[in-house]
Amino acid sequence: MLQLKNTFIGVFAILFAYYGGVFLSASLGLPIPGPLLGLVILLSLLFAFPNIETHTTLVAQPLLKHMSVLFVPAVLGVGMYWSDIEANAVALILAIGGTTALSLGLTAWVANKLMKKKSM
Amino acid sequence: MIDAILNTFTVSGLIWLSVTLCCYAISVKVNLFFNGHPASHPLVITVSLVGLALLLSNMSVPQYQQSVSLLHWLLGPVTVALALPIFKQWQKLRHYGWRLFASIAVGGVLAPLLAWFTLYALGSPVALQLTMLAKSITTPLAMEATAQIGGIPALAAVFVITTGIVGAVVSNSVFLLCQVKSPEAQGIALGTVAHAVGTAKAIHMGEEVTAMATLGLCINGLFTAFILPLMFSIVL
Repeated sequence: MLQLKNTFIGVFAILFAYYGGVFLSASLGLPIPGPLLGLVILLSLLFAFPNIETHTTLVAQPLLKHMSVLFVPAVLGVGMYWSDIEANAVALILAIGGTTALSLGLTAWVANKLMKKKSM
Repeated sequence: MIDAILNTFTVSGLIWLSVTLCCYAISVKVNLFFNGHPASHPLVITVSLVGLALLLSNMSVPQYQQSVSLLHWLLGPVTVALALPIFKQWQKLRHYGWRLFASIAVGGVLAPLLAWFTLYALGSPVALQLTMLAKSITTPLAMEATAQIGGIPALAAVFVITTGIVGAVVSNSVFLLCQVKSPEAQGIALGTVAHAVGTAKAIHMGEEVTAMATLGLCINGLFTAFILPLMFSIVL
């Protein structure tokens, strides 16, 4: 019963932050996506009331863990752009394959240099 | 939200939601069987299975998307939920301070710029170029950001996942080649450049790597999704 109540509070906190963000973004005509503002609202809520962490975790953890399934409808829609992908296949493979490895190496190298002094 | 829920409680909504969830459950098992190898990412398998089911049942993709619009709608709340890992790692974030932000900024700026430049130099269409700018951030944020700047959200999802898989697969050899042994640096690079797929890989590399990857994923995602639309609304 308590679990149910806590889950309910978690759902409420996340939906409150989500709709708050969507409302702010739309009503102020901001170029920033509503859900992103929602993220900032939820983060502020967590700092203002740290005891809601357990409630939000109950809802947020399973959502985050299984978020891959939420992309399925969007990814299936990619068939519509198949001709674009085919026409630019070489560029796309280079852009995703090549530069990802390069960026990964460079970031790790810089982080290594910067963080050495402050290892935990 | 109301629309999404109404769509769910129709015959086709219930059927396709169950089909999708079943395919996902199978994919998770397959992924576990391959010891969590990035190339067997549950999304890749789920999409193939559902795609096959759509083909066999003669269902069109837009119809399917409408039936399972609840899943698509949940992308919003899941974006909001990313606040939780940031909150949980706040101590680490304060401990490393600007060093952490500087490292993440290097990856956060380099990865999209290099990818964009490749497409630009090879003369790909503008919509593809714009979509590529969000390829290193986590999928829900990438889809929001590309929609704002005139890219293609569906393609963003594909670019992001592919980037994550490539990053996670090559990470071991890259770290060996660059002689980066510190778990903090490896974690930051994985999370910043290869987002959630990289973070899933980091889980196999230890707790410290995972914590830093989570921070890299969240901070880079947050900043990129803020800065890209702002930059475009000022320039255009």
